[in-house]
Amino acid sequence: MNTKLWLRAALAGGAAGLVNGFFGGGGGMVLVPLLVRCCALERRRAFANSVAVILPLCVVSAAVYAFRGRLDLSSALPFLLGGLAGGYLGGRLFRRVSIHWLRRGFALLILFGGIKALI
Amino acid sequence: MERLYDFLAGTATGLLSGFGVGGGTLLLVYMTAVRGLEQHLAQGINLLYFLPAASAALPSHQKNRYLDRRIILPAVCAGVCCTALAAWISSGLQLGPLRKCFGLFLLLTGLSELFHKKSR
Repeated sequence: MNTKLWLRAALAGGAAGLVNGFFGGGGGMVLVPLLVRCCALERRRAFANSVAVILPLCVVSAAVYAFRGRLDLSSALPFLLGGLAGGYLGGRLFRRVSIHWLRRGFALLILFGGIKALI
Repeated sequence: MERLYDFLAGTATGLLSGFGVGGGTLLLVYMTAVRGLEQHLAQGINLLYFLPAASAALPSHQKNRYLDRRIILPAVCAGVCCTALAAWISSGLQLGPLRKCFGLFLLLTGLSELFHKKSR
């Protein structure tokens, strides 16, 4: 076991966990650059591994939200079904897609959301 | 009709979540800025939404040999402790401060994504 790599991956996971639990998402946005910079993971591999890391974090956070009465299954249902279909397609298409331009495009949408949340 | 739009939004962002490219963050933007859902409700939905989206994508990532247990195990071990603590704090917070923190997070994330370097 490579202790240095283990520690770096743990720190990256911890940072992603803080963000993911606090905002109910967004952990991958923190985890991917950390995995690339601290764990020397190739970028495409970092994206795939972040999906595997964030999944259990969402299970734990969702359990906490449920315990605190913050979950609404009925409102979530259409998003869950959409997420299932989209996630399946995403996994299948992952190798063939250029992620670079995708990220530029969705950055603009995220900035719009940020401005709306602040004003 | 709103449920159909929610499904389509979930599908589009699910595609990004399958790639690991921030689909959940974008879905939060849709739910709060477009649909006007309350922040805590949107966050709870987003956490639930990621479960099927990621579960559907992971078999392909595993098949393509992208997953690395040496990275995943320690990241998950540390991550679950931190995420539980953060979720506990966040779910008890007042809406105002949470929205401001969320807005700042989105601005930082959006800027960093907009100016990211094309790399390996």
